[in-house]
Amino acid sequence: MDTMDRVSEQPSPRHVIVAPGQTSVTVTEKISSLVFGKTPLWWFGAFSVSFLLLQVFLISVATLFVKGIGLWGINIPVGWGWDIINFVWWIGIGHAGTLISAILLLFRQEWRNSINRFAEAMTLFAVACAGQYPLLHLGRPQIFYWLMPYPNSSGYWPQFRSPLVWDVFAVSTYALTSLLFWYVGLIPDLGTLRDRSKNKFIAFLFGGLALGWRGSSRHWANYESAYLLLAGISTPLVLSVHTIVSFDFSIGIVPGWHTTVFPPYFVAGAVFAGFAMVMILAIPTRALFKLEAYITMRHFDNMAKVTLVTGLIVVYGYFVEVFMAWYSANDFEWFMVTNRFFGPYKYQYWLLLLCNAVIPQLLWLKRIRTNLPMLFLISLVISVGMWLERFVIIVISLSRDYMPSAWDIYHGTIWDVGTFVGTIGLFLTLMFLFLRVLPAIPMSEIKMILPEAKLKNEEAH
Amino acid sequence: MSGGGHHHREILPLLPTYDPPAELDGLGKKGLIVGFFALIATLVGGLMANDHFTQFYRSYLIGFLFVFALSAGCWSISLVHHLSRGKWGVMIRRSLEAAAANLPLVAVMFVPIVFGIHSLYEWSHTEVVAGDPILSRKAAYLNANMFILRSAFYFVSFSLLAMWIRRLSLKQDQTGDPALAPKMQKIAAGSLLFYILAMTFAAVDWVMSLTPHWFSTIYGLYFVIGQGIAGMAFTILMCKFLSKLEPLAKRFSTENFHDYGKLLFAWTLVWTYFSLSQFLIIWSGNLPEELSWFYGRIKGGWKPVSLMLVFLHFVLPFLLLLSRSRKQNITRLARVAALMLFMRLVDLIWLTAPAFSPDVLKIHWMDITAPIGLFGIWLFFYVRNLRSRSILPLHEPYLREALGHV
Amino acid sequence: MAELHGIMAEYEKPGDLVAAIHKVREAGFRNMDAYTPYPIEEVIEALDFKTKMPLLVLCAGIIGCLGGFGLQYWVSVIEYPMNYGGRPLNSWPAFIPITFECTILLCALTATFGMIAMNGLPMPYHPVFNVAAFREKAGTNGYFLCIEASDPKFASAREALSGTNASEVNDVEA
Repeated sequence: MDTMDRVSEQPSPRHVIVAPGQTSVTVTEKISSLVFGKTPLWWFGAFSVSFLLLQVFLISVATLFVKGIGLWGINIPVGWGWDIINFVWWIGIGHAGTLISAILLLFRQEWRNSINRFAEAMTLFAVACAGQYPLLHLGRPQIFYWLMPYPNSSGYWPQFRSPLVWDVFAVSTYALTSLLFWYVGLIPDLGTLRDRSKNKFIAFLFGGLALGWRGSSRHWANYESAYLLLAGISTPLVLSVHTIVSFDFSIGIVPGWHTTVFPPYFVAGAVFAGFAMVMILAIPTRALFKLEAYITMRHFDNMAKVTLVTGLIVVYGYFVEVFMAWYSANDFEWFMVTNRFFGPYKYQYWLLLLCNAVIPQLLWLKRIRTNLPMLFLISLVISVGMWLERFVIIVISLSRDYMPSAWDIYHGTIWDVGTFVGTIGLFLTLMFLFLRVLPAIPMSEIKMILPEAKLKNEEAH
Repeated sequence: MSGGGHHHREILPLLPTYDPPAELDGLGKKGLIVGFFALIATLVGGLMANDHFTQFYRSYLIGFLFVFALSAGCWSISLVHHLSRGKWGVMIRRSLEAAAANLPLVAVMFVPIVFGIHSLYEWSHTEVVAGDPILSRKAAYLNANMFILRSAFYFVSFSLLAMWIRRLSLKQDQTGDPALAPKMQKIAAGSLLFYILAMTFAAVDWVMSLTPHWFSTIYGLYFVIGQGIAGMAFTILMCKFLSKLEPLAKRFSTENFHDYGKLLFAWTLVWTYFSLSQFLIIWSGNLPEELSWFYGRIKGGWKPVSLMLVFLHFVLPFLLLLSRSRKQNITRLARVAALMLFMRLVDLIWLTAPAFSPDVLKIHWMDITAPIGLFGIWLFFYVRNLRSRSILPLHEPYLREALGHV
Repeated sequence: MAELHGIMAEYEKPGDLVAAIHKVREAGFRNMDAYTPYPIEEVIEALDFKTKMPLLVLCAGIIGCLGGFGLQYWVSVIEYPMNYGGRPLNSWPAFIPITFECTILLCALTATFGMIAMNGLPMPYHPVFNVAAFREKAGTNGYFLCIEASDPKFASAREALSGTNASEVNDVEA
């Protein structure tokens, strides 16, 4: 806590991102011990639970393949249900990871250096989970490659005017770029692990992945430039991905979908949910791995502020949608709003407002922003709220569109729940494996911000 | 935010006071003279047109929106500066405050719009509203009394909020009370929220309702970002002016300019992002009630202006501002800023003028003289505000760092 | 004496390394490389290493942009023209998102694989790892400077490095 206070008084917060007393040696020892040390008991417990949930995913998907997507609750007109809700939810969560590692790098926000690896891993695994849903929703996932433009014997091509095809390009570019960015960031640390490993086989494995990295300055010159450029292109990329996800809805003309504020409002919502997820993961990890020296209260304070700001943009989106629906004097638009307020899904709507618009306002208080249990709880509430937001957008609009004779009510089935819980299992399984076998905190980047990394002329004052 | 790479400059000793350069007065006087004659010309043009001042009001609206964008834009940048508590805004804070302090003046400049309401807004004619079912449903919002009341509310609240934070900033100069910086940070957070929300309605009132059937939910944000660009472009031009004169000569670092260049670059991209989102969604939806707004702009006579916006408000500044050395050199950066300020005017013309001539390109010479006239007067008062206090915030905690004293 | 790759000096502080580079460069040495656990801009500058990465990625971006739009144009206008909801064949506004994604994709691939290729990676063997201190500290807290055998003044390299603030000077066997 007193670290925090010093930050707010001092103009230059350079030293307090990492707790005092840390050196290159302690950083390397601590972080590589997470990889080489004995597996802690709690890890087995946590991993078992995750792995069990992963089995739920496998069972749900296997059953789906046998019986078809009629298993889910979707119907006509509600052809998109939990599957697409979960897709948008997961991909949004992934965005915070890119935001932390790329945008904060461009702004030279050094506090990012201890959480970026973790956040990037979160991005990758969240995108992996997100990707399951559109593929499964295809009904015939084995021919997913029909979505890609390639010369084929039937002589047809994808419809490039469709936002769903844009999505294929956006999400696959995003997954690939995130993977490359993450891997490039890992290379120097993999080299360090190779050199520190006592076991020949493990040294060989890390050595292979490190590609023979030796820390040459000639290499660093190219590396730094490539890393910055990757950050530079990841920044517009992450905005474009959720923008295109928002186009999946707004390009269509369904009331509640077709509205111009969707792109920035979706991006803000993604970051909002994503930062909440970073906190949900970081708070227990920090305690279990004893990483208090690297993930300080300053990190949580900053993350909570980003969450608050993006949450306010989301609330602005809700507000302006309601106002414009009235101002448009368009019957369909106004019906969409009143249907949200008082229609069959009104509880979901009001609960969404409580979760996303009301409770996060607690983050205005510094007392709350530096209280980890409270932050954890608020983050959980936001995750629920952002899931509900996608439910409200997707299901309410589809279930009540232009033609009353085509209206229907939608509810997810047990298999929808199983698939969703299952992807949480997939996510956590990947996350725990990552925490166990790779350095969760970038060693080389932490060393850059240690006091000893300062050159003489800077030490003068 | 701080710049990358190395920034070399001579570090000058700190001074006890930083009085604004007297040369500013000349700039203010020039503004007053040019502004006065441009306004007279516009007024004469209005009289000669013999159309009950209809064209005059239409051109005047553009001028008003232009000077309002400068004041509101500078105000919002100063709020972001207070909120982020970064050193990047220290050198320009006084200029931003001086521009924001013109908000009451801009409120006075709004008065003619009230008189011209019938020349501008279709919904202000009760007989038109009565015969139009859509406008009848909006009448609770779109009517002359509510319009004037709301505008008064925007001006009073914006002016009071801007004056409040400016007063605290002055108090910081006098007392050096360290509690003031966190206090201004809190006020800035609230003010920024209020500004964005109120500006959404102001954009609907003043501009969107020129085509009263049309609506778009991103419209308010589009105005907010446009005003940010106008404010930043003006600030960069003032930096160029001030960086040649004592006491600020050699006190700006390339890092300062780099930061301003990055902001201008980022906001230009955000403007493009908002514009493209709005256009692509409406174009793909292809609904008559929405697309009608774009039709004359993309198919009709306004197409050249639309293309001009694409190439000169996005492509050219994007390519120019990619260069790091350009962002760090105030002379070269100022050229881009001048382009952006001009393109803000073009965008305002593009937003308003097609409402009166949807299919045929019609830009009146008064569309140019009215903004010049109001801007000249605005500049005179801006200089007065800037001259009335220290050109740097004396007890700002980051001042030493901003001046290179680490 | 076995064949040498170079002579390597070790420093405890990054500042010492920078000073040493300046010193040996002034003495006329050119073929050298420094090894640090994290990137140090001053070291790269002192060694006068430049990167062509931005230009490479810019070219990739331009190719990606033109290729992405070209693909959609060719498919929608030339190869498979179809009236779809009355939209023009060349629906350029709708082609913007994929054009953008293709630009980004090509930039990302080029930055990553360009970096790996320009650095001559993967490299299974390199002589610097023959130095025990290098293996131990290069990834942790060791700052190394190696004058390579190819340098014309290599004969006096050991002397020059000993004259700097090095904590240790070692031969690097090839």
